[in-house]
Amino acid sequence: MNYRELATALEQLAHRLSKHADKLEGEALGSQAHRLLEDARKVAAQVDAHLASRKSGEWLLETLLRSPGAKRHLTLNALRKLVRETLGKRLKADALPAAKRELIDLAHAQASGQAVADALRGYLSEAASVKTGKKEKDALQQEFVALGSLSDEEFREAAGNRHLAELRRLASANGIPFTPKTPKVRLLHLIRHYGQRAVVNLMPPV
Amino acid sequence: MPVILGSELGLINARVRRVMGVQPAAAPTMGTKVLAFINFKGGVGKTATVVNLAATLVKLHGKKVLVVDLDAQSNSTLWLMRPDQWREHVAKGRRSTFQSFDDAFQGKERFNFDEAVVQGVSTWTGFTELPALHLLPAAVDLLRVEDRIHEMKPSLAPRLLDRVLSEHFKRYDFVLLDCPPNLYTTTKNAIYAADGCVVPYVPDYLSLSGFQVLAEQVGEMRSRWESTLPRRRRPNISALLVSHYRQSGNVFRLAINELELSLAQLRARDVIPATTAVLEPYVRHCVRVAESTSEHLPVILYAPGSIGAQDYADLAENFLKHFR
Repeated sequence: MNYRELATALEQLAHRLSKHADKLEGEALGSQAHRLLEDARKVAAQVDAHLASRKSGEWLLETLLRSPGAKRHLTLNALRKLVRETLGKRLKADALPAAKRELIDLAHAQASGQAVADALRGYLSEAASVKTGKKEKDALQQEFVALGSLSDEEFREAAGNRHLAELRRLASANGIPFTPKTPKVRLLHLIRHYGQRAVVNLMPPV
Repeated sequence: MPVILGSELGLINARVRRVMGVQPAAAPTMGTKVLAFINFKGGVGKTATVVNLAATLVKLHGKKVLVVDLDAQSNSTLWLMRPDQWREHVAKGRRSTFQSFDDAFQGKERFNFDEAVVQGVSTWTGFTELPALHLLPAAVDLLRVEDRIHEMKPSLAPRLLDRVLSEHFKRYDFVLLDCPPNLYTTTKNAIYAADGCVVPYVPDYLSLSGFQVLAEQVGEMRSRWESTLPRRRRPNISALLVSHYRQSGNVFRLAINELELSLAQLRARDVIPATTAVLEPYVRHCVRVAESTSEHLPVILYAPGSIGAQDYADLAENFLKHFR
């Protein structure tokens, strides 16, 4: 059941109660109605609290603090910086969970839930961004394919005399794994093999 | 006493209605984006991507999202609905995407969007979460669509879905069309109705070869439909999303590199636009995502701390930047 369906059911009940109010009586109905009224008041209080929390931005702030993105990216230092910049305060807590609770209290006290939530959203968005040297990578990928299409002799001529650092950049940009100990000969072999493979795999199958 | 109770209920009712109308600090609507999630290779994570991306966009970004399940296997439907609820909801194919096709075959107008759409995700409390996540469920009867499509004029066949649903799409920030693993009629309908295509992708050679064919096919459809499509819509492959990624070893990094090289070739030949991108992060294999299907919940509700939920959260950020 969703809340719209609940609203419809309550409307229908309210309508029936209103229409037949003069005919309704009896102990069983009375005690059931009393329980419903008590529960209804509790639900009303919850609904009000929820709406207030949404309006102030605190609900969003709590959602973001509990979000998967926060778990991955949000550090204590980042949270401290965020609090300094948005609320002009220093966090006292020295552990992340306590710092999150302190932030919620501070935002509530300063009625700044929305501003803090916006700042946190910006931080998480920035943290999820991928920073790549796209142009350099594109050039190295093109070079990789070009080397893959050469004959063995041409490849030796084109790549054999290159510096190790240059070969490492080429390998790194094209997903070829190596360690600082990988010798130049091995690196050349890997670039040769995976370059040839890429050329074959890039041919359209039909 | 009953009169007081009635007025109390009325007050609560008003509050409940207000809750339904409030979105969590939603960013301004940028106009609906309709995206077809396609790949004629199966098991590449189409459904997982649609369900979890949709839920994350609703939960963390306050977007209003419609998932349209076009696969007769009904996987995104069964991910978001319990089987008993689903069976009751789509009995005889009614209140499902099948009805929108069947009406076209029968020349009737029995499909009612508001009755068919499921609002929110049922949780084990008995009440729904994510009220801004809507689902247009599939029914197994969708299998019959391909059998009957020859009854239609070929030029009309790919336009059925667009004709019935495009008006309703306007209510949403995003409409995600979960397509079957083929390029038959229902998928063509999705591509026709969409602003762009998103290709979920598993990094291996078989996916790469399939993707090259897929890109050519979408390009051919675009040329064929050019005269009938609204000007703003040119179905293209807008993005690729990598799933089932494993960081160990070099297999996947090399496969992603070959995908990037292939994209560069396809861009150079104008088969795909220059803006087509592989969105990051790559979604890693996560057992909690698999478990969440049995709970009929998106992973952001079932296991928000899992690596799967984290990957989808970051992916949603970059997805929004890409489609802004």
